[in-house]
Amino acid sequence: MVKWRWLERLTDHEQLRRLHLLERVPLFAGLSRRQLGKLLIKFFEKEYGAGEIIFMQGDAGKALFVVLAGKVSIYRAGHEAEEALATLTPGDYFGELALIDDHPRFAGARAQEPSTLMILYKSDFDHLIEGHSPIAIRVMGNLLKTLAGYVRRAQPQGNSRKDVTAESIPTKEKSMSPSERTGDD
Amino acid sequence: MIEERGTGRSSSTRWFPPPSILWALAIALVVGVVYVSRDFVVILFLSATLAYLINPIVKIAESVAIKRAVAVTVIYLGIGIGIFVLAYFFLPRLRVEVDSFYQSVPSFGERLDAAIDTVQDEIGASYPAARGLLITREVRYSKLNAFIEQQAMNLPGILSHLALLVLAIVLVPFFSYFLLRDSRKIIQFILNRLPATHIETSVAIWSEIDRIVGHYLRGVAIEGIVIGVSAALGLWVLGINYPLLLGILSGAANVVPYLGPILGGAAAVLAALVQFESLGPVAKVLTLYVSLKLLDVIAIQPLAVGDKNLHPMLLIASVIVGGHALGIIGMVIAVPTVTILQEIAKLLLERRSQPGQMAEVDVDKSVRMQPYIC
Repeated sequence: MVKWRWLERLTDHEQLRRLHLLERVPLFAGLSRRQLGKLLIKFFEKEYGAGEIIFMQGDAGKALFVVLAGKVSIYRAGHEAEEALATLTPGDYFGELALIDDHPRFAGARAQEPSTLMILYKSDFDHLIEGHSPIAIRVMGNLLKTLAGYVRRAQPQGNSRKDVTAESIPTKEKSMSPSERTGDD
Repeated sequence: MIEERGTGRSSSTRWFPPPSILWALAIALVVGVVYVSRDFVVILFLSATLAYLINPIVKIAESVAIKRAVAVTVIYLGIGIGIFVLAYFFLPRLRVEVDSFYQSVPSFGERLDAAIDTVQDEIGASYPAARGLLITREVRYSKLNAFIEQQAMNLPGILSHLALLVLAIVLVPFFSYFLLRDSRKIIQFILNRLPATHIETSVAIWSEIDRIVGHYLRGVAIEGIVIGVSAALGLWVLGINYPLLLGILSGAANVVPYLGPILGGAAAVLAALVQFESLGPVAKVLTLYVSLKLLDVIAIQPLAVGDKNLHPMLLIASVIVGGHALGIIGMVIAVPTVTILQEIAKLLLERRSQPGQMAEVDVDKSVRMQPYIC
């Protein structure tokens, strides 16, 4: 907490806002303020115009995105029309699988209105966690909980392994609350 | 669109040069602009280097939400105080060394002659067979005169390089302050103007270039400081004159691989020769510099710089070209510049081959392959 006026003048309020936002991101739950600070300086920031494509379905995933301002829609190309999967608002994140590998994206993302996104590139994240295993353990743990949530919801009772396909995997935004994503339920 | 005679097909009359020609023209234009404004480019390069050295401290401040401008100002104040403290302790000693060196300059030639004669006599007495290989005073004078004449012809060039050096000392801290303060805004300005479809690749490439360049420049700086301090301490222990001056020279020259250590070692050997007029101390100084080089290659370089080395041929070529274009500063910055360009080129070539491989991965197959499904 900033208590003194002179400290207030030294504080970068924009940066503090980003820090508070990252605290709310379920993927980074459990990280201390210091660890979040280390993570924060690895993020880039970019503004997107309304309707601008952020990435397309099938693009190689290279970065995680966190919505800082605006709205982002996640969609999947269907046979005839696009299927809207979710609308993300400040504090939501997407593209987290890019932190694991650079396989093609399952869905596309588009700015619904003028939006500002924070972007964490995989190699920056890898570089950070090389020297900070507590951050790696916490973030990867949260990511695993998210993925476990995917799998549980993808496999209805009595479902066998052969029934699992891309279509049967629900999106986290549709089916999970933020607390569920991290397995805090 | 026009109808082609007799064929019935239509074709465009507008001709566009192939992309390779456009790229070549763009590169030629950039090289031309850089060459014309090379003095400014050198100052910008040195400013960026200083900014890269300081940036990790700024990032620590940024991670605890301290304003960048405040952090950079405080760091500059800290560096200023550090320089003041260092100057307070070391400047009197350095001034004594410089004064003593200047006073000895008029008699330096005579003393060097006497020292070389003594050492040659020593070698001749111990190894009579080597007498034929020793150079007489007359031959030495004729070679020295030729060298001085050549340098006198290059005097305007040397003076302009000195002017650039003075300008760099004044402008580099100034430019690097603004680069450090505004780098985040500059990057964001560029990112906001990049097409969204290229953003992930652009951020990826920029991140890696930033890391490679930062790591290399910081490594070279650490290496130079360690070598400079070790050389100064070693020379001081051996009782050689001007240990501080020679240490600073050795540290700065170390930036240029191969040639730098030779230059630093040669200056120290010369100082030992003039001071003692005997082979013993010269051998001690040579041993010190060879040991420092070994320490550098075995311990300092792998830790600080890593394996980002230029091919020796490319290294020598870049030092020669840098020296011709920009004198001493050119020689010093040539190797880091070419190493950085080499690393960037490697990175871009690696990335160029990756998208094709990734595009071949089928979405559904990759889903089935995910271990978490099981």
